[in-house]
Amino acid sequence: MSGSVALTAVKESMPAKILEIVERSPARAYVYIAPEEIVAASRFMFEECGVRLATVSGVDTRSGIELVYHWMSAKDHQFIMIKTKVKKPFPEIDSVGSFLPAAVWIEREIHDILGVVFRGHPDFRKLILSDDWPEGIHPYKRGVRFGEFKA
Amino acid sequence: MKRTIVPLGPFHPLLEEAEHFQLYVEGETVVDIDMRIGYMHRGIEKMSQYKTFDQVPFTVERICGICSTSHPIAYVNAVEDLAGIEIPERAKYIRNIVAELERLHSHMLWVGLAGHFIGYDTVFMWAWKYREPILDIFELISGNRNHYAMMKPGGVRRDIKEEDFPAIISMLDTLAKGNELFTGAVVDDPVIHARTKGVGILSKEDAISYGTVGPTVRGSDISDDIRTDDPYAGYDLVDWDVITYEGGDVFAKAAVRLLENFESIKIIRQSLEKMPPGPIETEVREIPPGEGVGHAEAPRGEVFHYVRSDGSACPVRHKIRAPSFVNIPSFKATCIGETIADVALITASVDPCYCCTERMAVVDRQTEDVLMSGEELVRMSREKTKEIKEGLGQETPIDKLARKLQRGEL
Repeated sequence: MSGSVALTAVKESMPAKILEIVERSPARAYVYIAPEEIVAASRFMFEECGVRLATVSGVDTRSGIELVYHWMSAKDHQFIMIKTKVKKPFPEIDSVGSFLPAAVWIEREIHDILGVVFRGHPDFRKLILSDDWPEGIHPYKRGVRFGEFKA
Repeated sequence: MKRTIVPLGPFHPLLEEAEHFQLYVEGETVVDIDMRIGYMHRGIEKMSQYKTFDQVPFTVERICGICSTSHPIAYVNAVEDLAGIEIPERAKYIRNIVAELERLHSHMLWVGLAGHFIGYDTVFMWAWKYREPILDIFELISGNRNHYAMMKPGGVRRDIKEEDFPAIISMLDTLAKGNELFTGAVVDDPVIHARTKGVGILSKEDAISYGTVGPTVRGSDISDDIRTDDPYAGYDLVDWDVITYEGGDVFAKAAVRLLENFESIKIIRQSLEKMPPGPIETEVREIPPGEGVGHAEAPRGEVFHYVRSDGSACPVRHKIRAPSFVNIPSFKATCIGETIADVALITASVDPCYCCTERMAVVDRQTEDVLMSGEELVRMSREKTKEIKEGLGQETPIDKLARKLQRGEL
């Protein structure tokens, strides 16, 4: 199935321990790793595999906040999703934006909407919420109803 | 030297992303730039959790009025990836046609505005003259000039009728001729060279590390186009080329857009020829639990959608990333060291849905007095062009073309 150079490299020499790989289709692969190893894994993806970080998605689930790093490999016509889960109620993870400018804004956004703290982020201000937004309220978390907060 | 802060924005509520730039200037030179967004955050991702899978295309269509079909295409790609839906061939070609018509009108809009910024109002009027018939075609095939509501998971909502083909083809013929005259004039014009060449250079390394997309990255000579990198709709069924250009400056980005117009015209012509008769949608009975990733090449670059389902009628999470979200941070790499007169042009070269320069102002940092309005900044930019023209002492190719057009010689 995998003629993908990037995915082969991930399988063979990823510096992080791979918990699981799911290849849903030739164009979509999901790789699960532990949150402690996200910076090493991201460095490997960017510097060794030469793929582009399209964005990061944060999803609030019952067991923690899932972070999905979407890496687009143009040469392989494939999306590689690096997935990890951080624990609630105080989710924390090392910042990928510390070495990759492409991740700086999206990490600020995820902090605003889901309250994940990115350790070592170069510029950790609010991005989409206003400066007078109440601390500790993150609008995209589970249980926060639409229209509950008014400006 | 005394430092002054120049705020640009926050901007027009009709546009995609509100943003507020603060330029830190010393004299005429920009020494730092800070960007803030979120002024118009509408919470569309959260809103999606309260809409059914079929309703979401209508809300994401309204994220942007210019690339209003790119978001629905990326969204349906994500849902089709999630549920493993294969769409009929006729629907693939229809998606091609709608997406490329949109690229054409968006690029013409940009060319016009760029012309206005540098003081070529002929370019402005002319580009928009050719843009208008594209919107008429949209009205013909979808009933609306923008917000076409053509996409749905499993196919398209509306067919393009055979009887409308001649109108589309004759519009393309006129546009191709206009774009050719136009590209020739821009490429040869010494004033445009003086204003755009070597201005606001985005190096290859910066383009990669900021993760920029669309004409912004292709102007830095990197071939990155979702239409070939991860073919969706019917782009793998037609023959066309990815346009790249060397230099990374404003000129390169303009050239990419003008040359892309020809490719879009090529794609539409082939799609009209090859389109087979048949159904335009497959029935989607249910969306299973799971996750799907979809993206599309909008006029400004990659639009990204991530959809997660728990098997109910609504998505549990819908992540959207617009192209400007990754293109705007690259201003940190392109604007520093440039003059204020060029900054309006550099920020516009990314086409960040940012054209309302009347929201720009120059403010003294100590006293907070407004020193210059946005109009003043555009005037500065236009004046710079005028000076270059006068120094040249001869008629430029664009002026020549304008004179011919006025006399009706073309």
